[in-house]
Amino acid sequence: MSHLEACQVSKKIAVYGVYETKARVPVPQRYVKKRAAYSYMRRGKLVTAREGKQRYWKKPIREKKVEAKGRYEFKGSGKELYKAVAKAHTYMPRDYIEVPAKEFLEKPEEYGVRGEWVEREVESP
Amino acid sequence: MALGVNGLSVKWSHHSILGFTDSETVMLDLDDMSFRSVKYWSLRTMNWFQLGGFIILKSSDRCYHVVFNRKVSWTQNMSVVAWVSLLSHNKDLHRWLEMQCIKQASTLRIGPKRQKPSPRIVYKYGEQNGQIEGFLKYRRMIKRIMKTMGEPD
Repeated sequence: MSHLEACQVSKKIAVYGVYETKARVPVPQRYVKKRAAYSYMRRGKLVTAREGKQRYWKKPIREKKVEAKGRYEFKGSGKELYKAVAKAHTYMPRDYIEVPAKEFLEKPEEYGVRGEWVEREVESP
Repeated sequence: MALGVNGLSVKWSHHSILGFTDSETVMLDLDDMSFRSVKYWSLRTMNWFQLGGFIILKSSDRCYHVVFNRKVSWTQNMSVVAWVSLLSHNKDLHRWLEMQCIKQASTLRIGPKRQKPSPRIVYKYGEQNGQIEGFLKYRRMIKRIMKTMGEPD
């Protein structure tokens, strides 16, 4: 099956579910440093810091394991589809991805992120 | 023609779910319905829209999938599903219909899902040489993929 034919076929194989992957996510910050009461100038005015405490930021965006849902829709011939489904177990889909299997096999990192599928309740397709 | 349960004996321990998607095949996901009702609605739909034939697959207890034989356009497809959804008052089918409209293609599960086994064919009626043939071909392909991949590392 040529690449063009693969794009025109309406039948596809769906690979979907819930997966875990590492992503950079914002983390709520509640860090406060104890300090002696101090004053500083701000816009020409003298400001006294409250009760000798200073809030500070500590890695506000961190790499964490997150759960997400996604779906691949692969078009193509048998061998390509088999390889694409096998690859889909390493590269998790970013949301909804409809792609010819051949194209996905060439650049899987363009369509997905590394992670692993987890067992969770998924709604009917 | 009622058939014996023809299940997929392939062991699939991966957590992803494999399914078949097509916009030109009329497919129904009838949950929380007795086999008798599923058969009734399948026959009625087939006769009303002249769909040629159908197969019924049992996906789990009181959950069935129906695939019809005639090739239709996407608008005709949604018209058929909406007709069944409206007349049968099946809320699950209505929700399924909404999801298919968003994707612009119908999907039915082929592989197992958590504790549920792969859907197995329980009933065939009428012609089977059109879209049903295509569906079964893809089903066999997915079954082969599952068999080859087998257990995870």
